[in-house]
Parts: sequence; C-alpha cells; structure tokens
Amino acid sequence: MSSSLTRTSRRTAGIWFDRSLRFGGGFAALLSVVLFSWLIWDLVRLGLPLLTWEFLIGGVEDAGRAGGVGPLLVSTIWILFCCLALVIPLGTGCALWLSEFVRRGSVVARLVTGSVDLLASVPSIVFGLFGMVFFGQIVGMGFSILSGGLTLACMILPILVRTTLTALESLPPDLRPASAALGLTRTTATVKILLPAALPGIVVGITLGIGRALSETAALIFTSGYSTRMPESFFDSGRALSVHIYDLALNVANGAPMASSSALVLLAFILVVNTAAVALSEHWLRRRQSFS
Amino acid sequence: MARAVLGLGLLATACGKRDVGDTVTATGSSTIAPVVADAAKRYEKLHPGVRIEVQTGGSSRGIGDATTGVADLGLVSRVLKDEEKDNLTAHLLAADGVCVVLHKNNPVNQLDKQQLIDIYTKKVTNWKEFGGDDATIVVANKAEGRSTLEIFLHFLGLDNADVQADVVVGENLHVINSVVSNPNTIGYVSIGTASAEEKTGTPIKLVTTEGVVPTLESVRDGSFPITRPLNIVTDAKTSPVAQAFLDYLMSTEINDIVEKHFFVPVR
Repeated sequence: MSSSLTRTSRRTAGIWFDRSLRFGGGFAALLSVVLFSWLIWDLVRLGLPLLTWEFLIGGVEDAGRAGGVGPLLVSTIWILFCCLALVIPLGTGCALWLSEFVRRGSVVARLVTGSVDLLASVPSIVFGLFGMVFFGQIVGMGFSILSGGLTLACMILPILVRTTLTALESLPPDLRPASAALGLTRTTATVKILLPAALPGIVVGITLGIGRALSETAALIFTSGYSTRMPESFFDSGRALSVHIYDLALNVANGAPMASSSALVLLAFILVVNTAAVALSEHWLRRRQSFS
Repeated sequence: MARAVLGLGLLATACGKRDVGDTVTATGSSTIAPVVADAAKRYEKLHPGVRIEVQTGGSSRGIGDATTGVADLGLVSRVLKDEEKDNLTAHLLAADGVCVVLHKNNPVNQLDKQQLIDIYTKKVTNWKEFGGDDATIVVANKAEGRSTLEIFLHFLGLDNADVQADVVVGENLHVINSVVSNPNTIGYVSIGTASAEEKTGTPIKLVTTEGVVPTLESVRDGSFPITRPLNIVTDAKTSPVAQAFLDYLMSTEINDIVEKHFFVPVR
C-alpha cells in the first residue's frame, strides 16, 4: 500500500519535472527569439532611415557621420577574398591529411589537432597583434588588406579544419575500400569521391568562418587598418565595416545612428555571402549528380 | 566569374606598392584619429599626390611609432612623460575638456572635486546637502571605453568600480537628454557639446568646478581643471611632407573640424 503510494507520488513528481523541463526549455527558446528580434528591431529602427543607395556607394564623410560606406564595403570584400583564398585550401588540406593520410590517434595527428584546437581558443586581439608584427612588420606588408585577410585566415583556420575533419570522418567508411576495389588511386578517390561527399560539411565550416571573419574588429584594426580610402591594391590599407562600426560607436561623437545603419549593411552582407556559399555548393553538387 | 575575380585580384596585386615618398603616416590615440583623418581628407584634396595614412591603436602606440620611425606623426591624447620628452616634441592640436552638467532649474551652480567624489560614490545622495532642492540625486555615468569617462575619473581619482551610477550612457547627447528629462540628474559631457547645446537653448547649465567656469576659453588657457591635451608628437627627423601636413594641422584651417568633433581649438 505504502509502496504503491510512493510510486504514485514519484510518478506525479516525474510528470511535474517533465512539465517544468518542457516549460523551462520553451521559455529559453522564446527568450532567445525575443532577444534576437529586439536586437534586429533596434538596428532597423535606428539604422533603416539612413539606409539609402547613396549610403551604400558613397564615400565616408565627416568621420562617418555623413556620406556612406562604399569604400569600406569594397575593402571588406577584398579582405574576405584574401582570407578565403588562403584558408580554404589550407584548411581542407590539413583536414584531408588528418583524416586520410595519418593514423587516427597517432602522435603527429594528436599534435596537429591539439595545436589547431589551441588556436581556436586564442582571443582575436592576439591574432591582431600577431598579424601586425608578423605580416605587417616582418613580412613587410604594413597596414594592408592582404595583411588583414591573412590574419583572419589564421583566425578561422581552426573552424574550417574542425568542420571539414568532422565531415570527412562521418562519411560512410565503406567509401574508401570501395574506391580502392574499383582501382581508383588515392588522389582520384579523394578528389572525386570523398571531397564532394564532404562538401556540405565544408560549406558549413566556410559559412561559420565567414561570419566570424566579417564580424571581427580586434584582428583587423592593427592589420588592415583605419583608412577609409577606396582601396586600389591589396597593399592598401582599408577599413572593414566592423572596424567602422566600432569606431563610430566608440570614438566619434554622435556616431551611433550611422553605426546602426552600417551594422545593418554588414548583417545583410553576411546573409548574402552565406546564402551564396550554400547555393553555390548545392548547384555544384546537383551538376555532379546529373553527370553520374 | 571566379576567374574574373581572380584576374582582378592579380591585376590589383600587380599594381603593387606605390612610391612611398609623399606618404605621411600618423598612428595613435583613437580619440584623435577621427579628427586627423578628416583633416587629412581635406589636405589630400588641396595637395593631390600626397597620401596621409591614419591608423589607430592608442596613445602608447603613437609614442612608440613616432619614436621608432614607423609613423611620421604620433597621436597622443595625454601630457608627455618626462622621459618621452627626450626624443619627442609635442605639438598641441586641440584640447579636450569635460564639465559637469545640471538642469537649468537646479539651484546648484558650483561643485568641487570632493563634492563630485561624494556624489559619484553615493556618499551624498540628496541635492539639499549642496543647497539644492530636497530631491534624490540621479547619477549618470559614461559607458566603459569613453574618453570623457577616463578624463573625469582621472580628475576625481576614482576607479570606474567605485562609481555608483543610476544611469549609464554612451553618448554626450544622451547624458544631456537624461539631464533635460529629469532635473535631478547630474552628468558630465565634453565641454564642446555642452556649450553648443546651451547656446541653442537646451535647458542645461555648465557647473563651475574648483572655482573655474567651464568655457572654451578656460579650456584653451588651461585654467579649467578637467582637461587633457590632444597632441601630435614628432621625433627629430620629420620629412618635409610630414612637416607640411603638421603645419596644416597647427593652423586655424582645421578649427571647424576640431569643433565638429566637440574638442576645443587652441588657435
């Protein structure tokens, strides 16, 4: 009798626990949506009235309180281009080597993954100072778009290596012996079978990396710099949008409204770039499938 | 498409570095950088062929880069230390002053250093202690990272952790809005902003501190206590191009730019 009673009360307690868990989880989900919409709404409210075509293509006037962000948008694109041009081959190469060419758990593999993970936990300002000294002074690039892009590449390398590695490791293990059985060389198997199969994972890594790269200020302020001039070469200094937002919000009196509209532009830009990256990979995959 | 982008990129790289003979580099304080960048833009229009690169990184960076020769001009928003004066010369670009603002209807006209410390640490919380109304003092402080916060706390000798604020805001104008909407609020803003607002009829007053009325003149002649210099520093070997730009910065030509950034012109 008494034991059945405890059982019932235990069950009731369990039901209540389930309910509160469900309620708590729902509340957390709601809160994150509310916070996100609040943030966007604040940006839109302050920034949208200033967002015009002239703002998108115009030059920076009056320390950013007038004019637009045209040259900064160009600088941002160029910095991102330099960054991706280095980090995509380097990151996929490193992940390929780790997953296909060394034994998992071997000393070298652990050494490499360990240092990549360590790199991921380094604060971005450290990359900024490293980039300033290494690319800027030792290599002699000075304040330049190239120097900023390469610094960002170092910063997002761990993201790309990790996601690519996970994508390659989660491929069906049969793919490798099956390719060998068909007489494919390792290179052919890698390029024609493994990489395309892992492409969705790689693209996720690239989009995550792009997001981090575009929102970065600390790593760029000392490398690609502060100049608002329209860049003419990769050796010119060019202010990224994120650096501009930071400067307007903190160093320029009454810069807050323009900081909001610049933030809106940056947000839209990230959205466009990421959508393009996903669309491109899907397009490529579909074309491959129609061939085979 | 990808090939076109790559081609463009290679083309741009091929253009490479230009002749650096007529480039002036200025690095340092992020407070001064926007002013010098604006002045540089105007100067480049007047002197085609000259390029002025402005980079930030803080006052110590300005000192360092001017000493090592990485920069022609260092931007330093503080008084030079004695050992820095051995190698570097400071040229005063403008002055930055911070004053306490109250609502026009607040009977208090003067607050000295100790009284401000008491207010900002909440030792005194009622205006009647200073001869004002029987009302609770609302303390407005600036957000971390603002240069006005640094100057003000440096003057009071306080840490930001000591300050007990009711309102924390970022912009000078937000402080003024808080004071206007609640007459019991005390705040501090850049003197340039405060006097501009006072002139346009905003119901605020600039509070006399340590017996000195905060005006553009008292900041300019250095008698107002809550100020700091905005300096351009150079070493012994300044290139003719850099010297010409420095002369321009030291002229009255840029006074409107200085004022637009709410600093006080010194010429």
